[in-house]
Amino acid sequence: MRKVLEVEGLNKSFRMNKKNIHVLNNISLSLIKRDFLTVLGPSGCGKSTLIRCICCFEKIDGGVIKVDGMLVTRPGPDRLMVFQEFNQLFHWKTVWENIIYPLNLNHRNKTKKEREEIASKFLEMVNLKDFKNAYPRQLSGGMCQRVAIARALAIGPKILLMDEPFGALDAQTRSILQKELMDIWNKTDITIIFITHNIQESILLGNKIMVLSRIPAAIKVLVDNTIPFPRMPETPEFMDLWKELYSTLDVKRF
Amino acid sequence: MKEINPDYKNHSKIRLALSSKNLRELWIKIGFIVGVMIIWEVIARFGRVSSTLFPPISTIGIALWDNIITGEILEHLLYSLYLIFIGIGIGIVLTFILTVLYMIYKPFANILDIVISIMHPLPGIALLPIIMLIVGLGAKAIVIVIIQSVIWPVMVNSIAGFRSIPITQVELGRNIGMSELRLVCSVMIPNAFPHIFAGLKIAWSRSWRALIGAEMIFGATGLVGGLGWYIYKKRYFLEIPDVFAGLLVIVAIGIIVEEVVMKQIEKRTIVKWGVTV
Repeated sequence: MRKVLEVEGLNKSFRMNKKNIHVLNNISLSLIKRDFLTVLGPSGCGKSTLIRCICCFEKIDGGVIKVDGMLVTRPGPDRLMVFQEFNQLFHWKTVWENIIYPLNLNHRNKTKKEREEIASKFLEMVNLKDFKNAYPRQLSGGMCQRVAIARALAIGPKILLMDEPFGALDAQTRSILQKELMDIWNKTDITIIFITHNIQESILLGNKIMVLSRIPAAIKVLVDNTIPFPRMPETPEFMDLWKELYSTLDVKRF
Repeated sequence: MKEINPDYKNHSKIRLALSSKNLRELWIKIGFIVGVMIIWEVIARFGRVSSTLFPPISTIGIALWDNIITGEILEHLLYSLYLIFIGIGIGIVLTFILTVLYMIYKPFANILDIVISIMHPLPGIALLPIIMLIVGLGAKAIVIVIIQSVIWPVMVNSIAGFRSIPITQVELGRNIGMSELRLVCSVMIPNAFPHIFAGLKIAWSRSWRALIGAEMIFGATGLVGGLGWYIYKKRYFLEIPDVFAGLLVIVAIGIIVEEVVMKQIEKRTIVKWGVTV
């Protein structure tokens, strides 16, 4: 199978208070089309830094990042980030304008009607058709994240990078959005990297689960999640995987 | 599976409540102005004041009406507005260029910081003698004074606005494939707009004051003069009701710009987006 994303020997350090802090240590991974990789790791281990490097928001110190076999060095719409913050929408644009604007930028070869069809399709997919003309301030946090997801999907990236997008949501909204994301993933053939520190979420969503160690972060384990859908947290296989991930996560017990 | 946000559903009701509140506030404001006018009239007619130096408001009203009919005051008003629009226009363009340079080049920013701290507190009028020596008497000098009153407040506010832009918004812009220029125009300026607008409001009142002041020092430039010159001229001929009429027009323009133009812009942008500075 052709690899959508290849990361080889990625190293990254930050300078902080005149000290070099080595964050990512020789990370290598590759993903194929329709992979859903969830990334776990202790707080501050560089999970976000990893996908920020893939997005090219951060300069890397060593290693290569390839998308579809091509080296990437600048941010671009082939790797779209969905941030954790709710302020990732343009507050001066309506929900509809937020989705259609980047489409107009990136799909100039399509007709206006085609672009509008794409935007409606994804707006419907995230169940926000009735809020087309609302401004971001009129939306709840969960709705803002849905718009951000719809906007990213509408542009048609090869890889969707999600940095704890449901981290700031309440448990109920979070589980609704998890289900919606699974539906979307089933309907499209997008590759997703999803950062979380919720073990259950990582098992529910990912077909590959990666655990990073403390800094300098290296890949501790990378498991294939073969639990069939619908995944239920009560099933023994789910619980076994949960325990396995929990023990590798190196969480201090009380 | 939809969360219903009460704020969204009740939006029209909230707006309605606001408008009736606004209406009450408007009546209070009008009532105050009418009250002041009545007191003025009474003092001018029955108080121990010279009606030449302190004419009743009715006399001023008639003078104003006469001046409007003959078109004299309108001519001066239009000239003043013409100058201020040119000044503000050039001022905004210059501010835009300077602010962009400020954001891009660090050494330039350091220099400009010093220039701002020198120029920002300096009244444009204080520079008038020097400006007159360089460009001479005339519209050019007035426009320069206006530009000086516009650039600094707008710039100080714009820089504060640009600095407050969330990094997420800039990264998002780069991510969806915006060019640097588009990023500035379509992401950074809208994000900084509440700050920029606050700067524009200060710039307007400062430049309006500077304009009238400069016109009074200058007199007419060529054949036409602005409102400042009109007041100066009327005082010279001791036509005091006309002087007050000129003042009324200046106040009226100030109120119209503040309460109508600025409020409308605010309603269509900052209030609609739900952002505050």
